[in-house]
Order: sequence, then structure tokens, then C-alpha cells
Amino acid sequence: MNAPALKVLLIEDEKQIRRFVRAAVEEEGCSVAEAETMAQGLIDAGLRKPDLIVLDLGLPDGNGIDLIRDVRGWSDVPILILSARAQENDKIDALDAGADDYLTKPFGVGELRARVRALLRRRARSGESATPIVEFGESPGNISVDLSRRIVFRAGEVVHLTPLEYRLLAVLLGHPGKVMTQRNLLREIWGPSYVESSHYLRVYVGHLRQKLEIDPTQPRHFLTETGVGYRFQP
Amino acid sequence: MPNESMLTVQAPERFTPWQRVLLTVLACAATTLLATPLLDYLALANIVMLFLLTVLLLAVTLGRSAAVLASVLSVALFDFFFVPPRFSLAVNDFQYLITFAVMLATALITGQLAAGLKRRAQQAQIREQRTRALYEVARQLAGALALEQVREIARQFVRQQIDAEALILLLDEEKGGEPGEEKSRSAALRIEEHLAYMAQESGKHVFNTGLASNGYASLYLPLKAPMRVRGVLAVGLPENAPELQQENIALLEALASLIAIAIERLHYVDVAHATQLNVVAERLRSSILSALSHDLRTPLTALVGLADSLFLIKPALPAAALDTAQALHEQAARMASLVGNLLDMARLNAGTVTLRREWQPLEEVIGASIKLLGGALSAHPVRVSLPPDLPLLEFDAVLLERVFCNLLENAAKYAPAGSAVEIEARPLDDAVEVSVCDHGEGFPTTRKDGEDGKDDLFNMFVRGQSESSKPGTGLGLAICRAIVEAHGGTIGAANRPEGGACVRFTLPKGQPPVLEEESA
Repeated sequence: MNAPALKVLLIEDEKQIRRFVRAAVEEEGCSVAEAETMAQGLIDAGLRKPDLIVLDLGLPDGNGIDLIRDVRGWSDVPILILSARAQENDKIDALDAGADDYLTKPFGVGELRARVRALLRRRARSGESATPIVEFGESPGNISVDLSRRIVFRAGEVVHLTPLEYRLLAVLLGHPGKVMTQRNLLREIWGPSYVESSHYLRVYVGHLRQKLEIDPTQPRHFLTETGVGYRFQP
Repeated sequence: MPNESMLTVQAPERFTPWQRVLLTVLACAATTLLATPLLDYLALANIVMLFLLTVLLLAVTLGRSAAVLASVLSVALFDFFFVPPRFSLAVNDFQYLITFAVMLATALITGQLAAGLKRRAQQAQIREQRTRALYEVARQLAGALALEQVREIARQFVRQQIDAEALILLLDEEKGGEPGEEKSRSAALRIEEHLAYMAQESGKHVFNTGLASNGYASLYLPLKAPMRVRGVLAVGLPENAPELQQENIALLEALASLIAIAIERLHYVDVAHATQLNVVAERLRSSILSALSHDLRTPLTALVGLADSLFLIKPALPAAALDTAQALHEQAARMASLVGNLLDMARLNAGTVTLRREWQPLEEVIGASIKLLGGALSAHPVRVSLPPDLPLLEFDAVLLERVFCNLLENAAKYAPAGSAVEIEARPLDDAVEVSVCDHGEGFPTTRKDGEDGKDDLFNMFVRGQSESSKPGTGLGLAICRAIVEAHGGTIGAANRPEGGACVRFTLPKGQPPVLEEESA
């Protein structure tokens, strides 16, 4: 097939980093537009209508989080953040503002390509109608969730989940590959008054792992993004 | 104990008591001489008046005791020299006894009144002068900029007003709250520390007259400031000072409270100054750290990525070039982790790290660490065994992840490939002990100088074998210790009897939050 190349907008002030990110993204068959500043990035995001935005959080002319909020006002284009390790709070704020994923500097081209691929794939899939049955994991222990009937099977056996556990599972399944911040998950599942009670979330994620992971101490699907939140990896 | 001699204040007298007696006698004698030639012209009643006038004048000039003496003397002289029979104390007419009685009573009363008046005038003068001095000292203390000035002002004041030596003993905050300092310079006044301590503890003045003779301070006044007692004012009132009165103590107490306020003011000036300095230093430190972190990481990120991008070049580079690119990537990544460690250590040492403690299960952070290390642990299967009833613990997940990553990395570095790494946890009374153990050679048990070096490993830049072929800086365990200690735990290293190194650390249990049961 000969679909037009997907467009990626790269907003990053460091030239050398732009150079290899561009090379990596082009390797995925995308066309890349570059912006050096936040102001320019915002204009390009509006004009070029990219399919993915790669955004460095430490831009010289402003806070990347404002850009995310701005873009989220009129578009749900996936946003991948590049950030330094010391910026836990910035990461969380950016994800809360609507970013989809992040990469911590320094990162390899392999990681970058994997993230870009996952985000673009998700975007392509978002148009499809949601399938009522989600399956993940390998045999033995493969999980199948029937969303219409609210039943979870593990290796063909019904797994009993409490209502909250099921809701948590459903929310995580609804955003495969996306980092969900603690705050987001708490608000969505327990309600706004629980956003500071992170231990609820942690305990329930623990329950899900006990019931659905092969080795709950080394999970493969319900991953912890330490200090940030959780990610469901199908 | 204080105020045993409650005499009132007297201005320094011009005359000694003996001189006063002499003057009184002379004055009475003079009156007698003066009145003798007038006897023929004056009625005896008027001569009585002359004596009464003398008594009054003596009372005003020489005081009460002189007035009493003059009264008695006048009556005697009058009787002896003027009342018939003259030159005899005998009296012809008993009516004169009434004259004597009235004369004595009048003389005593007028003498008392006049002397009292004089005394009160003197007192008022002294009080006024002292009040002025207090105002003055308050003004000086308010302007004092250094402790030394406060000491000098106090010393001057006491010397001028009471003619005594005074000393300020400051509460030494570093030395367990005993009043100390200035001992070496206090040759003029020695301090009975026990009494000073009593004054400071009780908040009331302590007075012991017996001490003054040996050059010791006899009066100890606590310096009570609004916040707390700041020290003690010691005054060496001379033992033979005829009157140490309430007024003196009241004056010194007023002085003590002025000094206390001045000292407290200076203390808070210092505190505010130090705080300001700290804030500035802190801000500088953290901005340097974040600038450094950004400036170092940016080129390293570019380096790692650019090395990788060599693989993307079409047509593909020769294998040798790609090997070099891979090596470049690895070295740059190692450099990045090194920089990360250094910056972490700097942050932890600077105390600028604020823990984001949250209640969470331990297994989650262990799982995240194992996942984060990924390939580095591929040759070392990790066995995690946690008791199912392990309580939630309150910790900063990001920092604890660093601890586990560092410990696991060490294990992977020093234990032979294929050997397992074990992570265990067990609850103690008020903490949970976590251990990370490998099956390697263990920690070197002795250093070159023969000392046990295991605790040393947790210091910065100390490594098990100093010139080891394994890469590393010796920061990993130091970071672990800083993080564990910031959480209120302890960390230690040991070798297992069956071989292998073991690092154990504890995290306090605390009071985990209650989890509402789900109504399912």
C-alpha cells in the first residue's frame, strides 16, 4: 500500500539530538518537521497537523506543558515527551496535561523507535471500533477479557475480580501502552477526593498482578512507571 | 535569703556617724552659749524655742539619729543651764517637768518629720537619677549591635549605679544549656556556677551575701526574655555594702530584663541572617545542580543517540564501524549513569532532596527496578521472596528504586554469571529488613591496613578492591546509604556463611493508612 507518510513534528532545541531523532523517526517511514522553539512548535502543530509530536520538555522559550495543554485544546495527536531524569514532577504534569508517553534522557534509538511505533499504531487503531474482547499474555496464563460481559478469563478459567479491580483493569486496558499517572487513575476510578490516596491504587494494582500476572513481583503487563504511574503493556 | 537588711537608700553622707555626734553636741553647746546671755531678757519658753530650732536644723542637715540625740541633749542642757536651780538637773518647779516632756516630744517629732522629709527627698532624687540611668541604658542596649557591646553597657551601668562588678553569663546552646562563657576574662568577678544554674533554672534571682568576700558574685539574676531564659546576670555586691535593698535588686532586675531583650533581639538578628544566607546558598546550589545536570546530560543524550544512528545509515557501515558505534553507545551510557550518580550524590549530600514519601508495597518498587535494569541482569536470575503479610511502607519510590538498582547492579557486576540474586524482606519490631544477596565472592573482609572495611564501603568513592578491573566509582553504596538514612533506616554489609555478599537495610514501619474495605 502506498499511504502518504505519517507526519511527525519534532520540537527540540538541541541540534544534535534533533539530528538523530530525525534519523530514527524517518527510519520508521515518517516525514519529520523540526521546530527549535515552543512558539515555532505551536505554529507547526497547527499548520502541519502532525500524526505525532515529539516534545522536549526543557525548551528555552517556555514550558512544554503549556504547549501540551494548548494542543490538547483542539487535537488528540499523540505526544511523546523527552525529559531528563530529574524532572519527575514535570513528567507527571506533562502526562496529566495530556501527553501520552515519555522517554528519559539519555535514550537509545531503539527505545525511541519502539515508542514512536507504538504511539503511531495506537493512533491508527483509535479509528477502529473497540473490540469487546481484549486478549494478552502468552499461554499458559494468557488473559482474555470480555468487556461486554465483564468477565475475565485466565487460561480459560474465570478469574474473580472485585468491582474496583475490574474498573481499574478496564481503564488500563482502554489505554494500552499509555502511561497513566496515579492522579489520573485515582480520579477516574476512586473519584476526585482520592487523588492523594495513592496507596489505594498501589494495593489494587497489586491485586491485579496477583490475579493476572505469572510472576506478580516481576510483572509483564501491569508495569510500574516509578514515581509517575502505571502502564498497561498488552 | 535576700533583703535581710531592709534599710532604705541613703545618699552617701558627708559625715561619719562620729562626726555627726560631735556636730550635734557642738550645735547644742553653741545654742546653750548663745542662749545664756539672753537669759535675762528672754522668758524660758523662748529659750526652749531656740533649742527646738536647733533640733529642727540638725534633723534637716544630719538626719534622724542626730535629731534624737539633739532632742535629748537639748532637754538636758536646758534643764541644767537654764531651769532654776541652774547648774543642776534638779528642778524646783514641777511645772518644768511638763515643759521638758513637751519639749522632748516636740523635738523628737519635728526631728523625725524633718529627717523623714529629707530622706524622702533624697530617695526621690536617687530614684529619679536611676530611672534616668535606666532609660539611658535601655537606649544604649536598643542600639547595641554586638553581644560584646551589651556586656560592656551592663558592666558600666552596674559600676556607676551600684558600684559593683557585673558579668553576663550566656546560656551556651552548644554545651547543654549551662551558663558559661567569659569565665576566663572575669578576673574581677568569680562565678559560683551552681547558683547561676539555679537562677537560670528557677527564673528567680538568687542572692547569697556570704560569697562576696571571696570575690565571688553574690547576686544572680536570670535574663528572662519573651522566648526563654537567655542567661544570667551576675553581680558582685560587696559584702560590707551596708544596704543591699529591694531597690537595688529591683533596679538590677529591670536591667536584667532590658539585657535579656537586647540579647534575644541580637539572637534573632543572627538567626534571620543565617536563614537568609542559607536560602541564598540553597538556591544557588540547586540551580547549579540543575544547570549542571542539563548541560551534562544534553551532550550525552546526543552522543548515545548519534552513536545509535550510525546503524541507520544506508548502505550499512562495515561491521567494524558498527562495533565501534555500539561501544560508543555503551561508553556514553555508562558516562551518563556516572553523571547521574554524581549528581544524585551531590543532591543527597546537599540535603536538597525532599522525599516524596508515599505508602506503597515493597514488591512494586522491586519489580520496577528489575525491569529498569533489564539486560544488565540477564545473566543473573533474581529471586524475590516477600512474606505475604508485609505491611505497606512509606518511602520515596524513585529513590528506593535507585537503592535496588544500585544493589542489583553490584550483584550483577561481582557475582559469576548464572548465579542467582536473592531479594528478601522480613518484618522486625518497628521496621522491615530488606536484604539483597548474591552468590559471588562476597565483600573483601579486610583492607590492606587490616581494618574491617565493610562499613567503609558505604563511604563515597570507596570500592571493595581499589584497583578492580570492574568499572565503577564507588558511589553506588554511598547513594544507597544516603537514601536509606534519609528514610530513617540503617544499612549494612555482610558476607553470608555459604558465600556471597549481602546488603541489608531497614525501613521504619510507621503507621500505615487504613484501607477502606470494598463493598463487593
